[in-house]
Amino acid sequence: MKAVILDGIVLGLGLGLLGVGLTLVYGLAGVLNLAYGEIAVLAAIIVAQLIAGGVPAGLAAVIGVLAGATAGILIDLTLMRPVYRERGGHRVLLGLLLTLGLAFVIEGVLTWRDPLGALSINVAGGPVRILGVPLAVGSVWASVIAVAVGAALLVFFTATTFGRAVRSVIQDELGAQLVGISPPLVRTVIFGLSGALAGLVAVTQAMTAPVSVTAGFNLTVLALIVSVVGGLGSVPGAFLAGVLLGIVDSASATYIGHYITSIVLLGAAALTILVWPSGLLGSHEG
Amino acid sequence: MTAVPRVGRAFLPVVATAVIIVVLPQVWFGSSEYTTGLAVQALILAAYAVGFNLIFGSTNQLFLCVGALAGLGGYVTGILADHASWSIWPAMVAGTLAAAAVGGLLSWVSVRRSLGVIFTGIVTLAFSLAFQDLLLGVEHLTGGSTGQVVTAAAVALSDNRLGGYYLFGGVVVGFLIVFRLLQISHFGWAFRALHDDEMAAELAGVDVARYRIYAAVIGSAMIGLTGALFAYSDGFLSPPTFAFDQVDVRVLVLVAFGGLGTLLGPVIGAVVFAFLDYALINSGQLRELLYGLCIVILFLGFRRGVIQALGGVAERFGPGGTGAKRWRRPAQIRERGS
Repeated sequence: MKAVILDGIVLGLGLGLLGVGLTLVYGLAGVLNLAYGEIAVLAAIIVAQLIAGGVPAGLAAVIGVLAGATAGILIDLTLMRPVYRERGGHRVLLGLLLTLGLAFVIEGVLTWRDPLGALSINVAGGPVRILGVPLAVGSVWASVIAVAVGAALLVFFTATTFGRAVRSVIQDELGAQLVGISPPLVRTVIFGLSGALAGLVAVTQAMTAPVSVTAGFNLTVLALIVSVVGGLGSVPGAFLAGVLLGIVDSASATYIGHYITSIVLLGAAALTILVWPSGLLGSHEG
Repeated sequence: MTAVPRVGRAFLPVVATAVIIVVLPQVWFGSSEYTTGLAVQALILAAYAVGFNLIFGSTNQLFLCVGALAGLGGYVTGILADHASWSIWPAMVAGTLAAAAVGGLLSWVSVRRSLGVIFTGIVTLAFSLAFQDLLLGVEHLTGGSTGQVVTAAAVALSDNRLGGYYLFGGVVVGFLIVFRLLQISHFGWAFRALHDDEMAAELAGVDVARYRIYAAVIGSAMIGLTGALFAYSDGFLSPPTFAFDQVDVRVLVLVAFGGLGTLLGPVIGAVVFAFLDYALINSGQLRELLYGLCIVILFLGFRRGVIQALGGVAERFGPGGTGAKRWRRPAQIRERGS
């Protein structure tokens, strides 16, 4: 029982980190970035190729995260321009469709050039015992990183000026503009941050299990579920939802079965949309 | 205001399509099973696309579960025919009704909870993925990932033979007739109103919720029927046939290409993409890349679909087309001017 819950928490922290990048961009720019998982996979493949080329894993990981950030910024500066010109429902739909197309482009390129590519990071060390339950050291590292990043984000959004500027744009784009904040600049930075988080997720996930070239869509769907349940736009919500869903996943996989688990997760997302459209901690209409 | 085309002229495009479908094999296929097979695939996608066009193109409900609805139709048919020993025709009716019911339910839920386009998309996507998992999980009924043979299937109609071609050709023409009938009836009027401006439509007395559900039920029935007929004609069901990235992505792209909400858009899109698939047959991986590029370019540049864009060009140089083309949405006029 304890093992199931701890497993779930470890999984859930990873899910939370996955969801944060997606939820930030939606809350801020009103864009549901369906290419999010693909950015993570892109970063993973870059890191894998660097490691294969002899670059030390730590440095490769950092480059991977930066690559993710770059991808995010590039997307914001190019593809998202026509999307930002729209408002409300049109912006959401156009953003959704364009990022969907982009996801296929990225996955197409990756599977075409490197169909068997995968990233796997082996962290040295035997299983770590937490509360008497042995956990793989890679998973523990992944969770620690997730928590650290989460804390850093929290500090960023509450204590720094730029972080507060981001929150103000999330709340009211026009109002933020009126007090001198530049929404386009904020959006570019946050897209970059989201890309960096995607890269980070790729690296941490690779510590527990290989991240392959075809994992993109799955990652996007997981991120989507976590974001929706936690409330689109809420960082703490994403982590909370991640942990809850992680425990549900772990319990369901142990006691019920593999396929039913997926259905349960998807059902949880759908149910949340229907019952609490703004998610657990979300504050505004999606 | 809206120029409702006279009934005769309204069905001209449908008749033309039917004629082309009937004549095409003699003119072009020869006895090539491969080409016939490609044509049948295109017709099946076109049939799905007409249903999707009704749901998304006409009433703006982003149903990302076309494959799942088709799979529902197909698998219910197969399971009832094989496991419950129903005869094939009632089984197909049941399959169609199942899809229509689920589609209607999804729409009803969206409407009741006032879900916007994006949440409808997410919920239907979740349904789509859950359905795949369901198919794989309930192995004793569905045959899981190895698939299941439908023993009651009619071999003469299997999809690389002419019988299958005419079957699905008839289905597509039938769906187009239904679509056209809806367009020129009060349904069409309501759809156009709620598509243009939902609030204004409500204020004008259109029961937006009800018409949305009607569109979803009819569209889902179309999709489910096609799935059921596929089970009947092909004789073999497996989950990847109805997967999101096999069905939904293609349908979305080809309807957007042909023109969301137009009558022949789905058919034209299906034809163009059939040629594209044929051209790309040797570069399988490139296909995904190309679909992605198409989605991006289409929605960046040709948001009304390539056909509308071409039609706009034709409008400027020639006399008006059929009555339907003469109708222009206010949004388009604003767009041209700005």
